[in-house]
Amino acid sequence: MLPLEVDTLVKDYKGQRALDGVSLSIREGEIFALLGPNGAGKTTLIGAVCGLVKKTSGRITLFGVDADTGGRQARAQVGLVPQEINFDPFFSVRESLALQLGYYGRPKDPARIDEVLAALKLTEKANAPTRALSGGMKRRLLIGKALVHRPKLVFLDEPTAGVDVELRRDLWAYVQRLKKEGTTVVLTTHYLEEAEALADRVGIIAKGKLVLVDDKQALIQRLGERALKVTFQKPASDAPSVGVLSADRLTFTFVEKPSGPNCAEVLGLLYAKGLPIGDVAMQPATLEDVMLRVLENSRAGPEA
Amino acid sequence: MNSIGARTLLEKEVRRFLRVPGQTVLQPLISTSLYFIVFGYSLGGRGSVDGVPYLQFIVPGLVFLGLANNAFLNTSSSVFITKIQGTVVDLLVAPLGPLELLIGFVGGAMARGLLVGILTWLVAMVFTGFEVAHPLLTFVMLVLGAYVFAVLGLLAGVWAEKFEQINFFPTFLLLPLTFLGGVFYSVHTLPEPFRTLSQLNPVVHMVEGLRLGMLGVGSESTLGLVLLAAVAVGATALAWRLLDTGYKLKQ
Repeated sequence: MLPLEVDTLVKDYKGQRALDGVSLSIREGEIFALLGPNGAGKTTLIGAVCGLVKKTSGRITLFGVDADTGGRQARAQVGLVPQEINFDPFFSVRESLALQLGYYGRPKDPARIDEVLAALKLTEKANAPTRALSGGMKRRLLIGKALVHRPKLVFLDEPTAGVDVELRRDLWAYVQRLKKEGTTVVLTTHYLEEAEALADRVGIIAKGKLVLVDDKQALIQRLGERALKVTFQKPASDAPSVGVLSADRLTFTFVEKPSGPNCAEVLGLLYAKGLPIGDVAMQPATLEDVMLRVLENSRAGPEA
Repeated sequence: MNSIGARTLLEKEVRRFLRVPGQTVLQPLISTSLYFIVFGYSLGGRGSVDGVPYLQFIVPGLVFLGLANNAFLNTSSSVFITKIQGTVVDLLVAPLGPLELLIGFVGGAMARGLLVGILTWLVAMVFTGFEVAHPLLTFVMLVLGAYVFAVLGLLAGVWAEKFEQINFFPTFLLLPLTFLGGVFYSVHTLPEPFRTLSQLNPVVHMVEGLRLGMLGVGSESTLGLVLLAAVAVGATALAWRLLDTGYKLKQ
């Protein structure tokens, strides 16, 4: 049974279409990364699934149950880490987690709360009021709140936005641990690096449309167009035809394609020709490049 | 029904107001005690109204005032703050439907309203001694009054988008209606047309109903009870609908 199926989901905000017929299936146990620029509809999509956004049309099925009719039982299996930090300043870290457990209809379970506190390195702050936490701790508590009831499907809406490198690595490790425990994870992010590190599959959303869904490896191979840039000490007499030699014959640029040779092979060719190589630079593909390319392709493609 | 969920929210609401007892319990107690001293002793300490000493006469109205105000303020501020600080997300994502949300928010507000109302009554007893003419009627009026104003507060909290809006109802409606609602005087002694006009004020009947229950005086009418029950049904239906559709709570 699929944890989540979204079928031609549409959401209009005051005449503006935020989601434009999104269809998506999430597989059990996978980490799915939803990528896209700001305002693309990532948060709206997650909000509609989690009951924060009223959809205009379409169908959402959680664990085989229509979210409109039998949604509450299904929703007890879902956890959400919202983008915005939200706490009740009246309560301590431990109390916040206990409340969350109760909202989900679970009996009191101090052992489970201890476990979550330890996993998120919040044990020392258990009795501190939430307003006394640092920014990173608040993020971690937010994740704890979404996980304390052991959901089978977790949504993380930009969990690492504005988070330092160390905490980001910690959170990644935690997400991978969740996957190991059998939890299905859907996360939104701006960072290709994050999707690369975590995701099994990636979806790219733009202007309310899901323009691409693919396995991460396939996506990287298809879109990870790395470029190789070689500077010569003196004008090169000749260069391989797979790349471009500048007019002054001092720089050689090669863009890696899935079908052709890779950067290392081309570099080998240059050395084999005995060219006067001065400097070698690699330019990795950025998410921006990938996004632009995907968007261009989707526009150029036939109207669906 | 998610009974653990409803109970958790109810407990949270009660703990929330108990965390700031000075503001939520003590402050209303002091203000009603001041009313009692100023209106009861300084101004009207001498005569009697509707056959009871004035000091005793104003007790039911003050109890009702404290009860209604605090029940209302608890839901309106709690729901509004929940929206502002974003914790409404936690409630919307969790398997909590209109029933659980109503039980939690309204139950917590009733606890505060009844606590303030009963404490006011206890303070008054120090001055007047203990008396309940009709315990059952008193009980029903107190519980129903707390319920009605808790639900009205919830409606205000859901509707309000700015902080000042949650004060609209208490300031512009509840305060004038209670002060003109026979808390400090008997509307039957008013000259016309005010006596008839007063009959249009629902608070008059609610206060009189409670006065009948507590003191056994005034009109034998059950209009106050009927009005409270009617408002209870109407307000509950509206609150249910708003919570079910996510009005101003969901995008």
